[in-house]
Amino acid sequence: MSQDGPTAVERFLNGIIPENPTYRQILGICPTLAVTNTMESAMTMAGTVLFVLVCSNVLTSLIRGLLKPHLRILVFTLTIAAFVTIADRFLAAYMYDMSKVLGPYIPLVIVNCIIIARCEICAAKQGVWTAFMDAVGQSLGFMLGLMSIATIREILGFGTWFGKWLGWRVIPVTAPEHWSTWVIMILPPGAFITLGLLMGVMNWIEAKHSARAKKATVAA
Amino acid sequence: MKNSYIGQAWLVIVLSLVFGAALAGVQAALKPRIEQNKLNDTLGQIPSLVPGATTGQAETIGGQTVYRALNDQGEQVGWMIPARGLGFADVLDLLVGLNKDLSRVTGLSVLEQKETPGLGDRITEPRWRDQFKGKPTIPDLVVTKTAPKSDSEIQGVTGATISSVSVAGIVNGAVARLREGLRE
Amino acid sequence: MPSPAIHIAPAPHLFGGALTTQRMMFDVLLALVPVLVAALWQFRLYAVIQLAICMVSAVAAEALFTAMRKKPILVRDGSALVTGAILAFSLPAKAPWYAGAVGSFVAIGIGKVIFGGVGQNIFNPAMLGRAFAMIAFPAALGASAYVVPDSPIDGLTHATPLTALKMLGQSTGLLPLFLGATNGSIGETSALACLLGGAYLCLRRTASWEIPAGVIAATAVIGLLVQWFSPVAGWTVLHELCGGALLFGAFFIATDPVSSPLAPRGKFVFGLGVGALVMLIRKLSGYPEGVMFSVLIMNALVPLINRATIPTPVGGPVPAKKAA
Repeated sequence: MSQDGPTAVERFLNGIIPENPTYRQILGICPTLAVTNTMESAMTMAGTVLFVLVCSNVLTSLIRGLLKPHLRILVFTLTIAAFVTIADRFLAAYMYDMSKVLGPYIPLVIVNCIIIARCEICAAKQGVWTAFMDAVGQSLGFMLGLMSIATIREILGFGTWFGKWLGWRVIPVTAPEHWSTWVIMILPPGAFITLGLLMGVMNWIEAKHSARAKKATVAA
Repeated sequence: MKNSYIGQAWLVIVLSLVFGAALAGVQAALKPRIEQNKLNDTLGQIPSLVPGATTGQAETIGGQTVYRALNDQGEQVGWMIPARGLGFADVLDLLVGLNKDLSRVTGLSVLEQKETPGLGDRITEPRWRDQFKGKPTIPDLVVTKTAPKSDSEIQGVTGATISSVSVAGIVNGAVARLREGLRE
Repeated sequence: MPSPAIHIAPAPHLFGGALTTQRMMFDVLLALVPVLVAALWQFRLYAVIQLAICMVSAVAAEALFTAMRKKPILVRDGSALVTGAILAFSLPAKAPWYAGAVGSFVAIGIGKVIFGGVGQNIFNPAMLGRAFAMIAFPAALGASAYVVPDSPIDGLTHATPLTALKMLGQSTGLLPLFLGATNGSIGETSALACLLGGAYLCLRRTASWEIPAGVIAATAVIGLLVQWFSPVAGWTVLHELCGGALLFGAFFIATDPVSSPLAPRGKFVFGLGVGALVMLIRKLSGYPEGVMFSVLIMNALVPLINRATIPTPVGGPVPAKKAA
């Protein structure tokens, strides 16, 4: 396999904003909707995805010369499933509370499309270093996506930010006639609304950006 | 060789074996810790539910798993029953603490519930749950809408009558089953 | 330079020149006057506060969001005022300020402007805002939020008629229900006021009479069946019709011309659906009243109803095209 395609640094940077998994590729939406009502669960999910994605990408890249085209998806799934199960057991052993909160969503990382997409797009074609950087970049992008949604949902829904780990209260507790937390933000509809609005904001920023770039080239 | 099944699939087979071994290793190494976590989750509640108790011992009585609550010296000071039953929205999982002769409730905690947020889920608030502390188990506990007048009355959560009645019903049922089981 | 417009449409050509959005919205506000009077009589200052909060927030939201879309600000057409007023009339008297304010912003922002502004929304904006507020603040808008035990206003100390019926099995007299001397959302208590305002709207053709007719017909039929098979002492079909938000919903909420079907037959079907769902929710769910959810559910079905009830053009049906 030759080293054509983006370089390691490009892969890394692309994952964070230009090809952000949540807002640009719209992949991994199930955990994005399901575990973003607190920062703790969002960060645990992002960490799990980071671990699984790095391991699977590196391993896939190492064995890329041996892959048969019609069996590659099978190998990807096998690899991902193995690392997800390891991550799940580790969480159950060392972060039991978080593991209880996340419940089935940790095993469901197996079907998170970000991971299999990165194996297919990058790791199966490029070298180990590029695959590693790609995995880290994409995971950071995913983490940014989850954090942006979880920040809004936790602050409005619970009035806290990192409430379980750091105990930060953003909105002070007051009498119900002055202010109240928004239960809807804790529930799944809050995730849909927040994701939709944030995606709108991202599109708006991008449209502004490209309009300015166009103007700049026209002027030049 | 190139077109035989083995030639096609050897990588999958090798990977399966390697991953299988790795997972077995992880499971073997972490299992005791995970089991301990799960046990602690239940046993860790005992001191807050049964005064004076520090740990517990599982036992099956009358068809349900119950825990004898033990103090530092290993003497029994009470009981803890993991009880479940139907709430308003879904199944409620409760832990009920009782004193040694089952005459009074010593504590109640809600392990799992999916009641209406803001209404039914207020059964998890300590202020509501603490009403059960010290209540006699005979006669059955009753939920009222107003401030309780007699000893066996519990004031329901406003706007969540069904959730409140369910909790009281689950507690009554669990205590009755244990009493029945001990009599046999 | 704009190209000259050539309008081509099959006969008959009808154009109601006076039927502008502004006039319709003004009509609705005028029709709400009896409701407001009843609300002032029953809830005093609470009604004024709630209306002020919701209408100011709705207009502010409209100005903000249309400015964000760089569209001319259409506050003057009054649709935001109507949305705010309907939302306020559907809230409990003592709902905290943020319930009305957040509800109004969601109603205008997510309920209307996101779809493209007046005339483009799928769901009734006021009900969408109320549904959001209800799920966000269940303690402030749920059945228990209506009761204020130590209030100087007599009506607020009792449970709403439908909650009393559902939870305690108590019936409320027909006369208080008709006049509005009961607890409830600000605008829904008086059946008389809703009928007066509704009649005005229907006579002015601002609201289509088919929708309230459908709602009332379905509720009456199902109410009769319920009365027949599981009677409750002192609770009849008339109580069912006058109680809760049914009449307010039938005349002011379900008749929103944007989110209801186009053809008269479709409107009647829409009304029937709303009425049937209201009775379903009242009798078989945990909620005492279901106008809000019924209207939202039927809003979602409007495209289907529209497709099924295409009216026959004058001159007979269009012959089906033969398959080539």
